[in-house]
Amino acid sequence: MADTLTIRTAGLVTVQDLGRVGRSRYGLPANGAADQHSARVANVLCGNDDRAPLLEITALDFACVPSGDILIAVTGAPAEVSVEGVVRPQWEPLPVRAGETIRVTGINRGLRVYLAVLGSFEAERLQGSCAPDTILGFGPPLRAGDELALRTACPPIDHPFSRIPLFRLNAPVPPFPASWTIDVTDGPDRAEFGDTGRRLFDAPFTVTPRSNHIGLRLQGAVPRRVTKGEVLSRGVPIGAVEVPAGDELLVLHRGRGVTAGYPVLAVVTATGLSALGQVRPGQTIHFRHRTLDQAITAHRAQRQAIDALRSRVRMAFEALRIRAPADLFNPGQL
Amino acid sequence: MTGNVTITDCGDSALVAKAVGLDAEPAWQLVHALADALNAVRLTGVHDVVPTYDALLVEFDCAATDHATVRRVLAHEAARLGPHPAPTTPPRRFVVPVVYGGEYGPDLPEVAAQLGLSEGEIVALHSGTDLTVRCLGAPAGAPMTDGPPFPKPVPRLASPRTRVDAGSVAVAGRQAVICPMPSPGGWPLLGRTPVRVLDLHSDPITVYRPGDTFRFRPIEPQQWDEYAELSLADCHG
Repeated sequence: MADTLTIRTAGLVTVQDLGRVGRSRYGLPANGAADQHSARVANVLCGNDDRAPLLEITALDFACVPSGDILIAVTGAPAEVSVEGVVRPQWEPLPVRAGETIRVTGINRGLRVYLAVLGSFEAERLQGSCAPDTILGFGPPLRAGDELALRTACPPIDHPFSRIPLFRLNAPVPPFPASWTIDVTDGPDRAEFGDTGRRLFDAPFTVTPRSNHIGLRLQGAVPRRVTKGEVLSRGVPIGAVEVPAGDELLVLHRGRGVTAGYPVLAVVTATGLSALGQVRPGQTIHFRHRTLDQAITAHRAQRQAIDALRSRVRMAFEALRIRAPADLFNPGQL
Repeated sequence: MTGNVTITDCGDSALVAKAVGLDAEPAWQLVHALADALNAVRLTGVHDVVPTYDALLVEFDCAATDHATVRRVLAHEAARLGPHPAPTTPPRRFVVPVVYGGEYGPDLPEVAAQLGLSEGEIVALHSGTDLTVRCLGAPAGAPMTDGPPFPKPVPRLASPRTRVDAGSVAVAGRQAVICPMPSPGGWPLLGRTPVRVLDLHSDPITVYRPGDTFRFRPIEPQQWDEYAELSLADCHG
């Protein structure tokens, strides 16, 4: 029988991947890991395909136990990670023996932790992705006692002098500040806000508790539209900064409805969206204006850092005779 | 501007192509044909296209392609299609049973009062013509259709509902919609269909496409159970 990963303390945890692509046309939002960078890195550290299912642990304490020996990686928000009571590092692969308890606690800087397992685990899919879709009622949070079937075992590779870190792979770790700087480029409807559009950059905004993976609501000095007239519903990108009626800014995130009728003042950059996936209600955001070139350069640099990490992981795994799952399964199957 | 479209940057991972200088119908046809053409090209890095009324959102991974490349292909395809592209797939028609009013359509009396018509006249107008699907929208692939020939636009609810039942049939402005899944909503509800709108196990999960038409057919509350096992695919007609 296949090995399993049993959830002991559920908190708020879901099975995630990078999201549902190619379905916007049919009205389905992308969804997927709110912090795409951390999710990718977790899978890469396990030698997995970037799109492999992994766990997204939001804010609350979490614990699980594998029935066989596995290799995991924990990324995302800073947390206290322990294996059988011993504190272990994030952003590195961690060997875990059968029956040892993995705990993730103390998430209070940043919001979401990602836990990937070498070889990943079986996950139900909808339209090619296991990402939860709250509107469709797909992918509900896991509960204590749930078991995930692991796709592959990892030979025990604990270090003979056990708790000396086995890996030093130098994964690209983003900052987790108390107050966030989020990069945006001009939106297609920037001109509709006249001079008030600059308010976006003049003072910080506070994230309200009515924020989630669909969108973040921000309070502050809100820009005002200077033109009138209805905007015909059209597709809006993830990251769109909209100004509905009222005193709040709305920043659309990965669960956003694909069509909307508000003018788009600015668009959060690809790297900014990963950061935004870690911002906690009550925290403040400073928006920083970027050109498209600056935004694209930053995104490509982040991806290149992941590609370089992938090479280091491959070398380390070869040296340790670990078969990387990305080689075992083709990405379409994962 | 390239011929009949303008192309605008929409952040570091998207572009918007907008039809210009065309009436509503050809503009709508153009952006949907352009979406089909772009899908057929299978341009590296482009992962989603969202055609709506007069605009097409193109989403891509800016680590795998760039704005200039996507722009060039969009402009080329727009020029190739010209202002009056022919639809690529023949439209289909769905006849959808609806229980109007009461608990099924709690806003029917209010909408009738706002438009200065009787409830029966509202039902007759809503179910009296084929309504064309223009695009699939939020939530969950909802079919956004042209509205029935009401004398004036229908205002949205002052206070949106936190939950609208699946199958609810709603109108707002000059548009109409069926809500496929339970979700919040600010559109006035005229009725509700017992048939299942989505099939989560097929790909895509919707059987209808932009260009297809819906004809609503009034049924009595007692008939609900006769249709409750059906899905929209069974209502082809």
